[in-house]
Amino acid sequence: MAAVTASPARPRAVPAEGHRAGLAGTLRSELTKLRSVRSTYWTVFMLVVAGVAWSVAYCAGEASRWPHMSLQDRAGFDPTQSSVVGLALLGQLVIVVLGTLAITSEYSTGMIRTSLTVMPRRGVLYGAKAAVFAAVGLVVAFLTSFAAFFIGQSLLASTHVSATLSQPNVLRAVIGSAVYVALCGLFAFGLGAILRSTAGAMTTAYGLLFLVPELAKALPSSWYADVERWLPGGDFVNVITGTQSINNSPHLFSVWGELAVFAAYTVILLVLGATLFRTRDA
Amino acid sequence: MIEARALTKRYGSTVAVSDLSFTIRPGVVTGFLGPNGAGKTTTMRLILGLDYPTEGTVTVSGRPYPQLLSPMHEVGALLDAKAVHGGRSARSHLLCLAQTNGIPRRRVDEVLGVVGLSGVAGKRSKGFSLGMSQRLGIAATLLGDPEILMFDEPVNGLDPEGILWIRNLMRSLAAEGRTVLVSSHLMSEMEHTADHVIVIGRGRLIADCSMAELIARSSGQAIRVRTPEPDALARAVAAAGGASAGAGDGDPGELEVTGFTEQRIGDIAFANGVRLHHLSPSRASLEQAFMELTADSVEYHAGLPESRQPAHLLGELRWQQ
Repeated sequence: MAAVTASPARPRAVPAEGHRAGLAGTLRSELTKLRSVRSTYWTVFMLVVAGVAWSVAYCAGEASRWPHMSLQDRAGFDPTQSSVVGLALLGQLVIVVLGTLAITSEYSTGMIRTSLTVMPRRGVLYGAKAAVFAAVGLVVAFLTSFAAFFIGQSLLASTHVSATLSQPNVLRAVIGSAVYVALCGLFAFGLGAILRSTAGAMTTAYGLLFLVPELAKALPSSWYADVERWLPGGDFVNVITGTQSINNSPHLFSVWGELAVFAAYTVILLVLGATLFRTRDA
Repeated sequence: MIEARALTKRYGSTVAVSDLSFTIRPGVVTGFLGPNGAGKTTTMRLILGLDYPTEGTVTVSGRPYPQLLSPMHEVGALLDAKAVHGGRSARSHLLCLAQTNGIPRRRVDEVLGVVGLSGVAGKRSKGFSLGMSQRLGIAATLLGDPEILMFDEPVNGLDPEGILWIRNLMRSLAAEGRTVLVSSHLMSEMEHTADHVIVIGRGRLIADCSMAELIARSSGQAIRVRTPEPDALARAVAAAGGASAGAGDGDPGELEVTGFTEQRIGDIAFANGVRLHHLSPSRASLEQAFMELTADSVEYHAGLPESRQPAHLLGELRWQQ
């Protein structure tokens, strides 16, 4: 065929040099993907509103009730928890949506075929996607957690018991809440990679985070005492967000221990998701 | 250059592609033909590494696709124009693809211009017509200025202007020395576009030859002739060693002549003093040949003899009647 000889001479609009598919470019690409759809802005907005609005409503309410509170109630009052528990309780609901969509929207739209065609090294694509989502989730969760804390404490100023970051366990609660929320997002991301279905992954995530810890309470109490520390979500959210000593919850590990357990579940799901992402037909 | 060797893909007990070997050469448009469900899309997915072959190998420029260092510079593929996130603007969609391969942002605007979407670059692709989505998909394939282009049924659902545009684009891409692989289930479409054809049916290779060869081999040289003296022409053709038959559309003056070229039939008629009003290769014949070629491999037949139809389908058909 005469035409075969034409290829070497053809001027190329995009030279091959320097245009390699790689991790740096894929990270940029995943950030563009996240930034260029409205659902991201909506869920991030909802996450911030959930955290801050709770803090405003709850702390303002407590401040106005303070003069009429009994001494016992005052002694049990945890100003830090009042301001950040909303982020953990409501924020986990929201970030599950964001984490799930970060991966399942590729499948529901068919975009995954295009994504894998331009970046066929699947481990790189998966890693970049998870890393960008984790970074965005952590930044948003940290900013929201600190914002909720400071806003809440300023509203509690009239009670003269408002917390500062230098008090014992306060920083732990503020950071722990943010880390927990970010982990919830990655937990859902891992489920999304495994199930490849938005509805399936979200339902499973909510089931594991809320239903399983509640169902476990139906177990005989001695059994429950043994499994409680190993459960995702559930009562340990109260421990993470509070400043009290862990001694009040004898069946749990320390706050960092509980976070480590949850992080381990998250890592298992992420690794399982990565394995399936690499080995399954797209 | 795309090379498949003994490529086989099974999904459970379904064999989608079976022992397929072919080479797709640069500088020509290769048509990838087969009825619906023949395994065309599966083969393309295997080429791109989206699915893993059960057996056999397929390489692009000598390597398995996932090992290409600059995949967008090597291959531009459009499998499904609607496989984009509808909430993303055309420009953002192309940008996120370009970034993975380190392709600069200005190239995004360049290809948007090439496909004529500059005016809607900031619009979300959700609202795009099929023709616009198709153009967006083609823009994505051009981003890396690739050596190889693959299009899966690119003219499906397009209006005549869109079809013409894609046809010309494919021809000009091949003329630049690129490898172009385009699948279709319409023989008539390929006739205008492809230089070379690979025909598959039920995942098996049926033909791998040039378009001219396929036409010569399969059309049986059926030539449609209209004459006011059909009997005289039929006698003359028979005397010269050819065959003729009524074209079968009710007009006694229409004949299908086989065994001769158009010129030879004209000469025979002239020599016998038979007037001809019309003389042309039968348009149906190529389509007919394709259907004959793939008849045994069509997954879902309409109008099979009752004895060959699955019972549950029959029930449905009767009910519809």
